[in-house]
Amino acid sequence: MIKKAKGATLAVLPLYLFTLVFVIGPLILMLVLSFSPRDGWGYGSGFTLDNYAVVFSGTYLNTFVTSLKLAVISTAAVIFIGYPFGLCTALLPARFARFFVSTQMIPYWVNSLLRLYGWIIIFRAGGLLDAVLMGLGITEEPLKLLYTYPAVVVGMIYVLLPFMFTSVYQVAEKLDLSLVEAARDLGAGRAYAFLTVTLPLTLPGLKTGVILTFIPSMGLFFIAQILGGNKVVLVGSLIEELLMKAHNQPGAAALSVILMLLTGAVCLLMMRKPRWQK
Amino acid sequence: MKKIISILMVSLMLVSVLLLTSCSSDSGRTLNLFTWAGMFPDEVIDGFEAATGIEVNYVNFDYDETMLAKLQAAEGGDYDLVIADDYIIEVAIAEGLVQKLDKSKLPSADNVNPLYQGQFYDPTDEYTVPYGAGVQTIVYNPEKIALDIKGYADLWDASLGDKLGIISNYRVINGMALKTMGESYNITDTAKIAEAGEKLKTLAPNIRLIKDDNLQDDLLAGEIDAAIMYTSQVTVAKMTNPALEVVFPEEGIGFGIMAMFVPSKAPDSDAAHAFIEYILTPEISAKCYEYIGYYCTNAAADSLISEDYRAFLTLPEAFTAENMEMIGNITAEADEAHLAAFTAFREACE
Repeated sequence: MIKKAKGATLAVLPLYLFTLVFVIGPLILMLVLSFSPRDGWGYGSGFTLDNYAVVFSGTYLNTFVTSLKLAVISTAAVIFIGYPFGLCTALLPARFARFFVSTQMIPYWVNSLLRLYGWIIIFRAGGLLDAVLMGLGITEEPLKLLYTYPAVVVGMIYVLLPFMFTSVYQVAEKLDLSLVEAARDLGAGRAYAFLTVTLPLTLPGLKTGVILTFIPSMGLFFIAQILGGNKVVLVGSLIEELLMKAHNQPGAAALSVILMLLTGAVCLLMMRKPRWQK
Repeated sequence: MKKIISILMVSLMLVSVLLLTSCSSDSGRTLNLFTWAGMFPDEVIDGFEAATGIEVNYVNFDYDETMLAKLQAAEGGDYDLVIADDYIIEVAIAEGLVQKLDKSKLPSADNVNPLYQGQFYDPTDEYTVPYGAGVQTIVYNPEKIALDIKGYADLWDASLGDKLGIISNYRVINGMALKTMGESYNITDTAKIAEAGEKLKTLAPNIRLIKDDNLQDDLLAGEIDAAIMYTSQVTVAKMTNPALEVVFPEEGIGFGIMAMFVPSKAPDSDAAHAFIEYILTPEISAKCYEYIGYYCTNAAADSLISEDYRAFLTLPEAFTAENMEMIGNITAEADEAHLAAFTAFREACE
C-alpha cells in the first residue's frame, strides 16, 4: 500500500513541479511587478500603488466596463444558441449525435485566427453576405458590416460556441430520460418538467460552458481587432498596448492582476453549489 | 534489431555534429546582419557577397524591443550590423551598445540627405547612417471623396463620415491632433496632450477602422476611402492603384528613420563598414528603396529611383527642416497621457 502511494507521488511530482515553476512562479512575478515602480522601460525596486491608481482612473475603468459588457453579451448569446443545441443533439440517436458533434468539432482543427479571416470575406463590403442580400433584393447597396460591434459579437459567438455545446452535450448525454417521463406522468407540463428536472440536471454542463466561455471572452481581443476595426477597446488589447507600445510593464501587470481577479470571481460564483443542491 | 537502430542513430548524430563543426570552421568572413525580414532585395545581398567575398548571415527580429533585448543579452556582441528604428537606437546608444563609425571607411556617407541628419537619436551622426524614412502622409481615393484634402484639419470634415482608416500608433495619431493645434509631436505638457485627445474625440464619427497591419488592403478594397498609414503601406497602395492621392499635410510632416549601426562589440566591424558603404552607393540605394518602399535617405540616389516610385519615395522640394519633425522619445508621464487619450478616443469610435 505504501509502495503504491510512493509510486503515485513520484508520478505526479513532475506535474506539480511544472505547475509551480511555470504557472505559480510567473503569477507571483506578475503580482510583484504590479506593485513595482516604473523605471524607464523596465521596473525598479520598491513598493507602489501607482499602477493600480492608473488602472482605476476613468479611461481604463471604462475599458473594463466595455470588456465585461462584450463578455456578458457573448456568453448570453452562446448560452442561448449552445444550450438547446447541445441538449437536443444529446437526445438524438447515438449515430446522428456523433455525426453532429464531429461537424461541430472538425472546423476547430483550423486555427481560430484563420477562421476569423473567413468572416471578413463574408462581412466585407460587396462580400458574400452583401452578394446574397443584394441578389435577393433585400438590400440595395452594400451594408457596412465589417468593423462594427455586431461583427465582433458574431466573431465571439463563433469562436466560443463549441465550448458551450460540448459542455452541455456531455452532461445531457448522461441525462436519465425516465426522470423526465416520471415528471410528466406525475402531471408536470413540458415547461415545468424542463425547469424542475432537465435544467437542474444539465446545469453543471451549462456552468462549465459559462466558465469556458466567459473567461476567454474577456481576453479574446484579437476578434475585436480583426472584425471590429480595433474600435471596441478590451482589457487584453490595453495590456498589449501598455506592454508593446508604452513600455509600461508594471501597468500591464496591474491590469492583468485585476483581470485575473475578475475572472476568478466569476469562476467561484459559477462553481458555488446552488442552495437546493446542498 | 534495436541495437542496430541505436548504432545507426548514434553514428548519424556523430556525422551531423562533424558536419556542423566543419561548417563553422570555414575560413571565409561573415557579416552578421540583424534587422527585420525583407529589408534588402536578394540581388543587393548577392552583389555585396560577390564584390567583397563576405558572406551575409541575415538574422531577423520582428520588433525593435526584441532586437534591444538580444543586443543587451549579447552585451553589444554577436551582431556586426543592426538596422532598427530611431527611438530604440537612442536607447541602445545611451546603454553603450553602439560603437562610433569610422567615417574614413565610409566616403559615401556624404550622400546622405541632410534633412535626415543630426536627429534626436544621434545628434552628431557619429553612430548611425540612415537607411530609409517613414513619412506620415494622407492617402485617399479621389473617385470616392470629392473633398480636396490638403492637411490633417480636412480629415475632420463631416463628408468623411465613417470613411477613414488610421494606423494604431498613438504618437502618430495624437500627434496629428497636436499638429492641427500648432503644437509639436514631442510636447510633454500632459494638459496639452489631453486637450489634443479631446480634439481627437471629435474625429471619431469619421473613423471606420484602426489597424496597423495591411491597412492598405482596406483602402484598395473600398472598405475605407481615406487613410493615414505607414509609408510602406502607401507604396503598396499607390503601386496597386495609381489613381490614389498622396497628401503631404500642410500642417507639416512627421517622420521616423530607420538607421544602420554597428554594435559596440561587433565581431567584424570592418565587414559592417564595408556593407554600409556598399549600400550607400547611389545605384544600390535606389534598388533598395524601390524594394522596401520607404523614403530615400540617400540624396545621391533620388534621381536614380525609377519614375514609378520617385513621386512618393522622395520628398517634394517644398519640404525643409522647418516643416518636418521627428517623433522622439518623451517622458513616461507624457507617454502615459498619450495612451490614455488614445484609448478614450478609440472608445469614442465604437
